[in-house]
Amino acid sequence: MVWFKKSNFITLAVLAVLVYFSMRLTEFDLSKFRDFRNMIEFLSQWFPMNFSELPDMVEDMLETLAMAFLGSVFGLLIALPLSFAAARNTAPSKTLYNLMRIGLSFVRSVPEIVFGLILLTTLGLGPFPAVIAIMLHNIGVMGKLISELIEAADPGPQEAMKAVGAKNWLASLFSILPQIWPNVLSNFFYRFEVAIRTSLILGFIGGGGIGQRLFNDFKTFQYASVSLDVLIIMVMVIAVDFIGSFVRNRVI
Amino acid sequence: MLKMNNVTVRYPGTEQAALSDLTVTLNTGEFVCVLGKSGAGKSTFIRCINGLQRPESGEVILGERQVTGAGDEELRKIRREVGMIFQHFNLIPRLSVRQNVLTGMFGYRPSVKNLLGLFSDEEKERADRVLRNVGLEEMASRRVENLSGGQKQRVGIARALVQNPSVLLGDEPVASLDPGTADYVFRLLQEMHERMDLLTIINVHDVDLAKRYATRILALKEGKLIFDGNPLDFDGGMFEETYGSRQVSAPGME
Repeated sequence: MVWFKKSNFITLAVLAVLVYFSMRLTEFDLSKFRDFRNMIEFLSQWFPMNFSELPDMVEDMLETLAMAFLGSVFGLLIALPLSFAAARNTAPSKTLYNLMRIGLSFVRSVPEIVFGLILLTTLGLGPFPAVIAIMLHNIGVMGKLISELIEAADPGPQEAMKAVGAKNWLASLFSILPQIWPNVLSNFFYRFEVAIRTSLILGFIGGGGIGQRLFNDFKTFQYASVSLDVLIIMVMVIAVDFIGSFVRNRVI
Repeated sequence: MLKMNNVTVRYPGTEQAALSDLTVTLNTGEFVCVLGKSGAGKSTFIRCINGLQRPESGEVILGERQVTGAGDEELRKIRREVGMIFQHFNLIPRLSVRQNVLTGMFGYRPSVKNLLGLFSDEEKERADRVLRNVGLEEMASRRVENLSGGQKQRVGIARALVQNPSVLLGDEPVASLDPGTADYVFRLLQEMHERMDLLTIINVHDVDLAKRYATRILALKEGKLIFDGNPLDFDGGMFEETYGSRQVSAPGME
């Protein structure tokens, strides 16, 4: 077995042990699928779909899209300047750099749903606290991603901008932003997609949108509506993915 | 005029000085080529002149201004009068040729105007004039990443010239170009040097190029100045001392 070293087998053994314990902890048992008839019976109640509430559903879908969009756009707008302070090669001072790093990872470590639950207490139910929750988390995530892009950027143009006598912040902005822009957009669209899924979950805790409708339809056993909700969500996610790759290709 | 007095540069964590106790005076009108092996201190020497590198000791004086010890604002005023071109061109990607040239004026203008891209007709005309001088007027609206190496370096030169510099620095500006293009770039530099009455200081690896274009050659070895004089006096012996090996000619060239 010329391809393998002893350490490969040790890795394999460790992996096997981890998989075993994870299966124990999650009660992973494929034989439970013998009751899959229940599932088929349940899914059969989803059809035919109930189209009577379609206009309201579309309105809720737009609300979800708006939540995700605002949360990601505001997140990006705030994260972009912060990430220049959180990147080693552009931070105005070492102290600020460290503070930004700590701040961003703190914000990132709090899940959106926790922000949502906390904000509900002051902002009440509805999409507004969900937008803020998504925005806060996105600041943390995009701040980290963009600051890493900044650190990986070619230092040459930055040096050239310093050499013509431009102010430091202007030199950083002009030399680095054009380099990282396509990747920034990529990250933005990915985060937008994630934000759609997140806003569905936030709907479950009263954040509005199609997520809340799905949750309510489910809780009131209106499965013919649930199926249409799910279909709308799928179409929405695919459409956003499609538009995202279209814009990315236009930019690159 | 550039004066360096006892300049020593040491990079953090290194024993040997990148430049050690270097003293030299260069005058306006001189086309200076700096020779030396990789790591001999050529880059460091060039970068000390516009303050991209701060010496550990010694002083650098450019015209009336003290580069060493200059504050941020003062340094920006010095840099805007010193053009610099680079081995990897260091252009701003995604911007057009003309936009790249306009960035050369950043040091003279308020930051807000730079940020918003507000340029006067006179400034735009100046950028176009410089582009004509380097023969790129037809490429003005092309994005720089679509240009060839030689064209990119001409954009670099245009960006430096639009600064209206009194000194032009080149850090290995032809090291990434083929020999024909390298020669063309040097001819262009020489032409601009004469037209604008500059002090031009350029690092090169190619000794032949240096001897052909320079009015004065400096050779560095392990951070020390080992030659300063007329290109005609840089002979085989100096070559051997600078590069640690004999100058070889191709077979049949004897």
